[in-house]
Parts: sequence; C-alpha cells; structure tokens
Amino acid sequence: MEENKINRRDFLSKSAILGVTGVVGTSALLSACGKKDTMVPLRPKGEYYVPELPDKAIDGKELKVGLVGCGGRGSGAIVNLLNAADGIKVVALGDTFPDRLANVRNNLKEKYNQDVPDDKCFIGLDAYKKVIDAGIDMVILTTPPVFRPEHFAYATQKGVHSFLEKPIAVDPKGYRSIIATAKQAQAKNLCVVTGTQRHHQRPYVEAFQKIQEGMIGEITGGNVYWNQGMLWYRERQKGWSDGEWMIRDWVNWKWLSGDHIVEQHVHNIDVFLWMLGKHPVKATAFGARHRRITGDQYDQFSVDFEFENGIHLHSMCRQIDGTSSNVGEYVQGTKGSWNSYDHEIKDLQGNVLWKFDEEAAKAQFKQNDPYVLEHVDWVNHIRKGEAHDEAEATAISCLAGVMGREAAYTGETVTWDAMSASSLDYMPADLKIGPMDMSGFTVPVPGTAK
Amino acid sequence: MNQWDGMEKKLRKNLLFCLLGLALGIVLALVGNYFYDRSSTNESCMACHFHPEAADSWKQSYHYNNPSGTKVDCVQCHLPPEGNFAHFKAKAKIGIKDVWSALTKKKEDIDWESKKELEHATRIVYNSSCLECHVNLYPTGISDEGIVAHLYYDENAEKLNLQCISCHLDAGHFNPNYSHSKMTGVPVSSTNTEIYTTLAEVTSFENFTETVPGTSAAIRMVAVPGGKFTIGSPSVEQFRAGDEGPQKEIEVSPFFMSEVEITWDQYWAFYGETMSEGRIDPDVVRAHNARPDIDAVSGPTPPFGNPDQGWGMGDRPALTMTHYAAEVFCRWLSLRTGRHYRLPTEAEWEYAARGGTDGAYFFDGKIRKFAKDTTVIGGYVIYALNSRNRTQEPSRVKPNPFGLKNMLGNVMEYCSDWYAEDAYAQLRDGEKDPQGPATGTEHVVRGGFYADAAGRVRSAARSHTRHDDWLRTDPQIPKSIWWYSDVKGIGFRVVCDVPEGIN
Repeated sequence: MEENKINRRDFLSKSAILGVTGVVGTSALLSACGKKDTMVPLRPKGEYYVPELPDKAIDGKELKVGLVGCGGRGSGAIVNLLNAADGIKVVALGDTFPDRLANVRNNLKEKYNQDVPDDKCFIGLDAYKKVIDAGIDMVILTTPPVFRPEHFAYATQKGVHSFLEKPIAVDPKGYRSIIATAKQAQAKNLCVVTGTQRHHQRPYVEAFQKIQEGMIGEITGGNVYWNQGMLWYRERQKGWSDGEWMIRDWVNWKWLSGDHIVEQHVHNIDVFLWMLGKHPVKATAFGARHRRITGDQYDQFSVDFEFENGIHLHSMCRQIDGTSSNVGEYVQGTKGSWNSYDHEIKDLQGNVLWKFDEEAAKAQFKQNDPYVLEHVDWVNHIRKGEAHDEAEATAISCLAGVMGREAAYTGETVTWDAMSASSLDYMPADLKIGPMDMSGFTVPVPGTAK
Repeated sequence: MNQWDGMEKKLRKNLLFCLLGLALGIVLALVGNYFYDRSSTNESCMACHFHPEAADSWKQSYHYNNPSGTKVDCVQCHLPPEGNFAHFKAKAKIGIKDVWSALTKKKEDIDWESKKELEHATRIVYNSSCLECHVNLYPTGISDEGIVAHLYYDENAEKLNLQCISCHLDAGHFNPNYSHSKMTGVPVSSTNTEIYTTLAEVTSFENFTETVPGTSAAIRMVAVPGGKFTIGSPSVEQFRAGDEGPQKEIEVSPFFMSEVEITWDQYWAFYGETMSEGRIDPDVVRAHNARPDIDAVSGPTPPFGNPDQGWGMGDRPALTMTHYAAEVFCRWLSLRTGRHYRLPTEAEWEYAARGGTDGAYFFDGKIRKFAKDTTVIGGYVIYALNSRNRTQEPSRVKPNPFGLKNMLGNVMEYCSDWYAEDAYAQLRDGEKDPQGPATGTEHVVRGGFYADAAGRVRSAARSHTRHDDWLRTDPQIPKSIWWYSDVKGIGFRVVCDVPEGIN
C-alpha cells in the first residue's frame, strides 16, 4: 500500500511535469504562429476534470450495489446504473418505509431480472448500515439529504464506493463532515460521484471546456435560476407519527431538504461555481413563503452572491404555481457569454462563437442521458481502480446554497468564513419515527435572528 | 607497431588512472554519503543533544507512540523536507550549531524549558516537513472542531503564516502541561481555600483587601495618592520610542490600584461565576453586558488549551484574556462589591508605575547595565534576563515606592485608553485625569513583559494591542471575544475609584 502510494505520487509529479512542458510547448508554438487574438485559458488543461462520456461503462468484474433510499430518485438512480453498465448486481435495498422499498424491489425484479432476497431488504433509519454491511462494492445514497453525511461516512469507513445524490449537505456541520469523508475516501482509493448530473451532460461539459479554454474571457458574473410551480407535498395521514410524516413529506421541511434553494436550485449554483472554480465569499438574500402548504420552508429565494474580485452571481428560485418557469444558467465573461438555454457562446456583439451540436452528438453517441452517463463515469473509475471525488466540489456548492438560505432566513449578510465554521446543525436531537418536538420547525422570519 | 605499443601503454596507464580515480571517487562518495546519512540518524542527533529529556518526551509523544506504529525521526521535523538545498543548508547550520554547543556549553546552563515554547519551536520545526507526511488534514476520526480548524488552516495558512505547531506543539515531544482541547471545569485555587462571606469595608483612604463573597478571590488594593507628574520620557532617554513624547504635566486624582497583576486565582473566581459553555453571538453578549441595569455579567467561554501555558496558576498573573474580557472582569467585580472597578487610564498607570520618580525606572541604575546585569533590576522586574521566558510569582520582586509590584515586566497590562502614537501631543499641559483619544482601533498596553529587553520595561515605554494578529490562529468565526490565541504575556490590573465620602 505504502509502495503504491509513493509510486502514484511520483507518477503524478512526473505527469505534471510532462503536462506543464506540454502546455508551455503548445503555447510557445501558438505564439510562434503570430496569431494575436488567441484565447487565454482560465486554467491550464489538466487542472480541471473533464469526464469521458462513452455510451456504456467498460466491462470488468461484477460489482455488487446497494441502494439506500428507495424514493423517486433512488428508484431512478438504480435503473440509471443498470443502464450504464453490465455486470452489476443489486444486492441490498434499504429505506425507512417498507412500501417505498417494495416498489423498487418489484420494479427491479420485473423489468431488470434483479431479485433482492428478503434478508437483504432493510427497513428503518439504520437500514443504511445493514445495506452497506451486506457485502457490497458500491452504494447509491438517495435518502433525504440531511442523512447524506452520516451515510457517506459509514460507506467510506467500510471501503464502499458512493454515489451521493445532491444535495449532499444541508448545514455547515454536514458540509464539514462531507469534506473530511471525501478526503478519507480519496485516501482509500474510492470513487465518489454526486448527482450533479450537469457535470455529465454533453452540452454542459463541452461548454465548460470552451469556457476554461478562455472563449468568453475572464468570468465577470452570472445569473442562475430554478423557477417552477409547486413541487409536491404529502398531507399527514392517520397513523403517521411526526417523524414519518416529515420524512414522507421531506421536500417541504428545512431540516430534511435544506429548503428548495439547497435541495433543487443547488444544481444551478453549482454550475456557476464549476465554471468559475471558486466559492462565494458573501451572500445577501431575500426569501419568503407565500403558498407552500406543508412544512416550514420558504417557496422563493433571491440571492446576491459575491465572489473574490467583485464578481457577483444572482441566483433566484421559486416553487409557486401559476408563475413563470425558468431553469438554467447564464455566465458573463469579458469577451462573451454562455447560457444553458440554447447552449451557445456569443461574443459581446452577439455573434455565435460556439453552439452545441446536438445532431452530431446524437450521431456519435447512443447514450445522451446525463443521469446514465454519471453512472458510466462512476463505474469506469471503479473498474479502472482510479480514485475519483466529486463530493468536495458538490459540498462547496451545497454550502453556497446554505449561505444563500441563511442570508434569506436571517436577513443578514452571511460570509463564507462564518458559514463554513458555523455550528448550525439541522439534525433534530430527537430524530425518530415517532413523536418529535415540532416546536422548532417554524417558518423563519428575517430580522429576528438575534 | 612500437608506436601502437606506446599508445596502448599510455592508454592503459590513463585507463588505470581513470579507473583508480573513479574507484576513489566512488569510495569518497560512499563514505561521504555514509556520514551524511549517519549524521541524520536519531543517534547522531542525540550525541550532541545531550539532554535525555528530549528523547524521553519524544518517545512519549504521538510521533513515537501511536496506534499506527509509525516512528517519526528527529530530522523529519527538525529539517526541511529532503531533496533540496534548503534541507542541506538547514542540516549544515543546525549541525554546526549543535556540535559547537556540545563542545562549548554546559547542559545546566541551557534553559531547556523555554526551548519548549512555541516561539523557539517555530525556529526549529519546519511546517513544510509537517505537511510532507500529513498529506491529509482530515483523517478518519477527526472531530467536527478539528475539521473547522483545518478548513481555517487550508484557507488562511499562507495569508496568515499559520503553523501546524501553533495548535500541535506536543506532537513531537510530550508535555504533560500542554493541552490540545477545550478546558473543562473551573480551576480551583491551590493556595487559598477560604471562601469569603463578607465584603471588605472601606472607610478611609488606606490599603485594603477586596474579598469577593462566595469566592476565594482576595484582591489587595493599594491606595495611590493623587498628584502631579510628567508623563512620557525626555528625548534623551535611552531606548526611548517616538510615542513617549512630547512630555506633559498631568494631574491624577487619588485611586486604589491592585497591588499585583490580577492573578489566576482571582480570574478563575470571575470565570467560575460568569462563564458560559456554549457560544453566544458576541453582539448579543456585548449588548447584554453593556446594559446598566444587569445584576450579572455574561463571562468567558472555556479557553482552548491551558491558558496558563503550563507555567502554573495561583498567584501568577492571569494571561491571554482580551481587553474586553478584562473590562467585563471589572464590571463583575463592581457588581459583586458595589464599588466601581475599571481598568486604569494610561495616565494613572504611568503615574502609579513611576511612584514619584522621573527616571527611566523607579529604581536607580543604568539601562546599558541592565541589558547584561540583572543584579539591581532583577529585584524589581521580571524581564528577558531573569524570567526564564515565562511569568513569575509576585513574591519574586520588590514593590515600587507606591507599594505596587510588577508594574514593569512580567506581563503587559491593559489600560482603558485607545492607543495613538501621538496621544501625548493631544494632551494639554496641566490636564487632569485624561482619558486618552476618543476613538481608536487598538488599546494601550503598558509595562512590558517577561521576554522584553531592559529598554522595553522602562516606566515610559508604551505599546498597544494587536487584535487581529493576536487572534490569527483562532479558527472560530466569529473569533473569540474572550481569549487571545497568539499572545501570551498580556494581563491587567484593576483600579477602584475612591468611594464617595472618603478622603
């Protein structure tokens, strides 16, 4: 193990030297051509990760997978994985509630010929431990996000590769836990992919490369949006305890989802952070709750994020029926802009410098679903034995969302330094499928934090 | 043929020389390498480091005694990482120095205790070497507080020149008096077990002992008569700094001043009654404590590590509290006694320190001499030459003419004034009870401390807080309002206004 590490480090430093030589050589050649208006890369190639996106994962040894969290996303993710790679065996399932688990189990059996035996189906808040201990290589963690840090830590401790559905942290404590676990996972040569699927969506990946190569110049700001109608909610049913109701209705409760700015809009904030390669330093925000039916969340946020060097990002998100929908990102640079609506880069005069060629992609690839491609990338890293980490970057995006949320809840300007060191912890002390102290679950009122 | 023979002979001869040279070179290189390597072994380090405590404490430390069974050798911390010139240079330097010390110095003459302190350690421990092995700062089992601290380190290490050993000083050498955790409980006095039940009565302007009921805090208060004096130093005074002038005639009203710097016993009495475990928003704490109608103050949170630096508590001066904490101490003491306690103004402080004298010190002697000879000054002042790089108990020194001890040296003392370099220029000649500049960013500190040279512990020497720098290692956001993380020799003494009706 020790031997391997040294070899790997040596190899990395040598390849880094080669990489630098390559870059220096290439730029020397380019400048020799005498072309003046050449693009200045934001970062040298090799300093940022670009996924390979083949239609299917490479073949290799059979991988045993477990699924923790059999809701909508979990049932989708397990199927995405089966579509992404051959030689996958679903070994264990876990959920807090038996009905959710049964749905996934039946679907896997009927459509995918994957039969999970009774003794590998686990129910309850501790099901994750049993799934991870069921002799699996990889685990899909798709419970409500508040549980993610704890589940990821356990999987990593047991040497299991994790797929973490976003968001992966809803509070600063969770963020810190993820950061530490991510480093530990790297030390164990584990592969960790998060459900920020735009990182595996062909038009985004291509745009990301163009922007890093300098096509829009230095990034000066951006706008990101997730405006839509109401998401969904569950009315409390007879016989549901406090704990059961909140977990079944989790997208409406702050402590479970992190509110919709973190739960959903984090995708778009994450895109900007991905392009810029930096975290915000400050956030000032408005937020409110007008028409949400259950829970204690807001249903709209508007955040001004400030980054180093005076770069601003405006983020807005809304979940209110009867309002205009808009989901996407826009990034402004010194030489042009990019947007995710028509996947175009325009110069400052409006000329299109680049446009994603969807037809060409369809001709070249059979698989263009980012939800499948992220699993292709995950399995490829596992089968090649190459450590991979998306958790740290996604945790940073999540904390940015948390910053925006707390700025809106309190009405105060919130700094990154304060947030990353904050003791804020959303996990209820009396968490259980039973009666819980509901007095703390109130809709925040700005200006009343102190 | 002969010609070829000759050439062949020559060639052979040359070849022989070449081979011999090569062999000699290899032998020399091998021998050199052997000694170079051998001189980096723990044994060769310890050959000159003839104090077995270093080896013993190393063997008790995490770097020798840990679950993974890894042993970290002397040179892995005490030299920069191998493979560059910095390593070679540092090795040569430290090697020559150690050999020289071993040949010329006596073990007993070296102050080993002070070599354990951070100030010295940062000179002989290389942060780059820490990071050479510790590639992952978030290892399995790290606590949430640890992650906060290491995230702070990652963001600020370069900007603030943060060192691993600022928090992990005992990593390589075990120190039973060092702690890498939050203090728990409230230290109790080892010297005074009496719990006072009654307040001192003050009926005349004489020395008295303030006893805080319900605690074992007894604070000896000295009656300082009012009077006139000249603040600052004349431009001819040796080691004088620009901020000590221009000199002004100042009048000071009578007051009581604590005979010694507030001691740990006294400070823990305050802490025990006012401390709070959890962190409360500093703005909320300040707002509460600023209210005139409160009957109890909100006091310090538990400090990280041993605030006494492992030097001992009891009568030694309390250390590392912030200026705000010292002010809240005064508020607490006022609420508990019904008398008005506060920090001294800078004018009161210097008036008290001088005790009617107008020289560089309140005792006779030449500054130049004090820089080498402790005979006279050592009787009054704890400073660089007699402190062994730490605070000492007040019993070590004699008082000044007013009966006050340790006005100079031991620890720096807070004044209530904001600091301004030109503060004295703003004074009027003959001004009575000046309060200093109306606003500022740093507070005045006076009196020098245990590591200061003789020139810095003169009666007129001025200094000030360095708030941000004194907190640079504190990873909490917001940073502590109670404890400084990056300064040691700071404390305070209190003054008490003369109660009405007393002459």
